[in-house]
Amino acid sequence: MRPKALFALLLTAVLLATGCGAGSSGDAKGPVQLLVFGAPEELAAYRTLTEAYEKARPGAEVQLVEASDRKDLLARLATAVAGGAPPDLFLMNYRFYGQFAAKNVVESLDERIAASDRIDPADYYPVAMDAFKWGGRQLCLPQNVSSLAVYYNRTLFAKYGVAEPKTGWTWNDMVGTAIAMTRDSRGVVVKGTESEGAAVRPVVHGLGVEPSIIRLAPLVWSNGAEIVDDLDKPTRLTLDTPAARDALKNLVDLRQAYGVVPTDEEVEAEDDESRFANGRLAMLMSSRRSTTTFRSIIDFEWDVAPLPVYQKQVGVLHSDAYCMTRGGKRKDAAWRFLEFAISEEGQRIIAATGRTVPSHIGVSESAAFLGPSQPPRSARVFLDAIPTVRALPTVSTWPEIEDVTYGILENAMHRGDRLDDVIRDLDQQTRPLFARGEHG
Amino acid sequence: MGGRASGPPPLPEAAGRIWHTLGAAFVILVFVPPLLLLVSGSLTEPGLPPSPTPQLVPDPVSTDGYRRAVEIGGLLRASLNSVLVAVVAVPLSVLVASLAGFALARVAPRTTATVVAASLVALMVPATALLVPRFAIFRALGLTDTLVPLIAPALLGTSPLYVLVYYLAFRALPRDLYDACLVEDLSPMRTWWRVALPLVRPVTAALTALTFVLTWSNFLDPLIYVYDRDLFTLPLALRSLSVLDPTNFPVFLAGAVLATAPALLVFVLAQRRFLHHDDPTGRDRP
Repeated sequence: MRPKALFALLLTAVLLATGCGAGSSGDAKGPVQLLVFGAPEELAAYRTLTEAYEKARPGAEVQLVEASDRKDLLARLATAVAGGAPPDLFLMNYRFYGQFAAKNVVESLDERIAASDRIDPADYYPVAMDAFKWGGRQLCLPQNVSSLAVYYNRTLFAKYGVAEPKTGWTWNDMVGTAIAMTRDSRGVVVKGTESEGAAVRPVVHGLGVEPSIIRLAPLVWSNGAEIVDDLDKPTRLTLDTPAARDALKNLVDLRQAYGVVPTDEEVEAEDDESRFANGRLAMLMSSRRSTTTFRSIIDFEWDVAPLPVYQKQVGVLHSDAYCMTRGGKRKDAAWRFLEFAISEEGQRIIAATGRTVPSHIGVSESAAFLGPSQPPRSARVFLDAIPTVRALPTVSTWPEIEDVTYGILENAMHRGDRLDDVIRDLDQQTRPLFARGEHG
Repeated sequence: MGGRASGPPPLPEAAGRIWHTLGAAFVILVFVPPLLLLVSGSLTEPGLPPSPTPQLVPDPVSTDGYRRAVEIGGLLRASLNSVLVAVVAVPLSVLVASLAGFALARVAPRTTATVVAASLVALMVPATALLVPRFAIFRALGLTDTLVPLIAPALLGTSPLYVLVYYLAFRALPRDLYDACLVEDLSPMRTWWRVALPLVRPVTAALTALTFVLTWSNFLDPLIYVYDRDLFTLPLALRSLSVLDPTNFPVFLAGAVLATAPALLVFVLAQRRFLHHDDPTGRDRP
C-alpha cells in the first residue's frame, strides 16, 4: 500500500511541477529573485544595491541568489529553468548567454524599454547594448563594459630604465619591451627559452598572457583578419588566413621564440595575477577584473596601457548584463528593479567595487569610476578602448568553443605544437560545435 | 567469540606490528603534509602577495584569515546550518540503512535478490541525471530554499551502497543467532536493536563516519536547492571564499581548516569508540 501511495505522491509532484512551468500572467507574490555570481566583495556590492533599491521603493523586495563562479551560476540557472522555477533575473556575460537565448529562456525587453521613462538606450555604450541583441531584439541590459588592457609594473620599468608602454605602441614594441624586462636574479636580461635547460632562469618575466581565443581575437582583428567566417552566422574559425596566422604565430612565439612569458609549469605554480602582484611579472594582459587584486599592492606602483596595435587599434568586449527569464513569476517587479540597477544610481554602487567599467556612459565618465584616489592612474585607458572594442560571436555553443580552443592553444604556446597542426585542429574540432550552435 | 584465545605465535605478530606501523607511517606521510600546509597557509597574513613557495612557518603568524573568513564567508551561520543538517541526517540515515539492511537479510531470498539488483541499478544512475526531476519534486512540495532537500536523502539511507553494506554485515552473522532470537520470542525489531546492531558496531562506525563526510561535504544539493544566504551550508560558504583574489588565499585556507576540523574529529571519535572496540582485550592478553 505504502509504495503505491509514495508513487502517487511523486507522480502528482511531477505533474504539478510541469504544469506550473507553463507561462503565467500578472505578478506572483514574494521577492524578485536575482541570480548573480562573484567574489565576496562583489556580492557585497550587490547586497548594497538590493538594499538601496528596497529603501528607495518601500514594499519592494529583492532576494539575492548568490553563486560563487560562473559554473555554479550555470548549474543553478539550468536546473531551476529545467525544473520550472527560474529566478526572475540573472546576470550573464554575452559570451555565455547565447545558450539561454537560443532556448527561448530570456524575455525580450524591447517593449518595456520603449515604455520606460527611466531608461534611455542612448545613455549606454552601444557596443554593449548590441552584444545582447538576439534576432534583432534586446534581450538583456548591460551592467558593465570592459576590454583588455596591459597592466605594467612602473617601479620595475623605472628600475631597469625601460620605456613605459604608451598609446599606439605596436606588437613589436611590446615584444621588445617584454624581452628587455625579462631578467635574472642579478637584473641582467636573459632569454627565457633557456630556462628549460640548465642556464639561468628568469626571475622577472616580461609578459603574462593567457593562450585563449578571447585573448587572441583582438590581435587577429588588429592585424586586419577575422576569427570566424561569418560574423552573424559563423560556421568555422578562420585562423588559416595569412594575417590571422601571423597574429597566432606571434602570440605563440612569446613563449616559443622569446621566452618572455612564464612556462606552463611556472604558471601552474603561480598564476600570472599572483606573479604580477609579487613584482615578478613586468606586464600582464588582462581585463578590468584584475584591478581589485592589484589595488592591494603596496610594494610598487603600477598602471595600465592600451593593447598593442598591428594595423589598427581593436579591443575585445567584456560585458555582463541583467537578463529577465521568460518563465519568471514577477516580471513587472523584476523590471522595476532592473531599471534601478542599470540607472545611474545603481551603476554607481557597483562601480565602487572597481572591478567593472560601468556601461552607463555618464557614470563611466564620472569620478565614481575615474576617481584619482585609487590606481590605476590611467583608468581612462579602459574608456578610450570602448569605441574600438568588438564583440565575440554569441553563437549558443560559444562556451564549448572557448573550452576546446583553450586546450589546443595552450599546447601550441607551451608545448610548441606545429602551427599548421594547431590551426587544423582548431578548425576541425570547432566545426561541429559551430554546426550545432544557434544564432541570434 | 572467546574461542580464539590461543592466538597466533609471537614472532609473526611482532612482524605484523612492524608492517602495521610502516603502513601507518606511509599513510601519514601521504596525508599529513597537505594538512600541515593547509594549517600554515591559513595562519599567513592575508592581503600580502602570495608566496611562490609554501612556507611551513608563516612570517608573521596571523589569525586574521580566520577572523575574515568568519566575517566575509558567513562561516558561523553556515557551520550552524551544516551542523543542523548533519545532526538530523546522519543518525537518521544510519538507522534507516541498518533497518533496511537488516530487513534484506531476513526476508525471502527472492525479494532480497530483487531489492539488491534494484539498489545496484540505483547506484549506477549518475546523480546529475536526477537533478532536474528531484528539483521539480521538491519545488512542487514547496521545499526548495529550505534545508529539507539536504536532509531528505537520509530517509533512504543516503546511498543504496550503505544499505547493501549493512545487508552484507547482517547476513554474515550466524543463522543460529537469529534462530535463537526466534526461540526467545524476540520481535524482529528487538532482534535488530538488541542483538544484531551491537554485533556490527564497526560497520555502524564506518558508515556513520562516511555518511557524515558525505553530508558535511555535500555541495551540489545546497547549490541547487538553497537560495537564501542565511541557509547556506559550509561547502557553499567555503566556495564563496575560494573565488577571493589570490592575495587573500589565507582567508580561504582558514575557512577550509574550520570546515575540515569537524570531519577529522568525527573520524577520531569513530575510531576510538567503535573500531578499537575489542582491541583492549586483545592487547591485555599476555
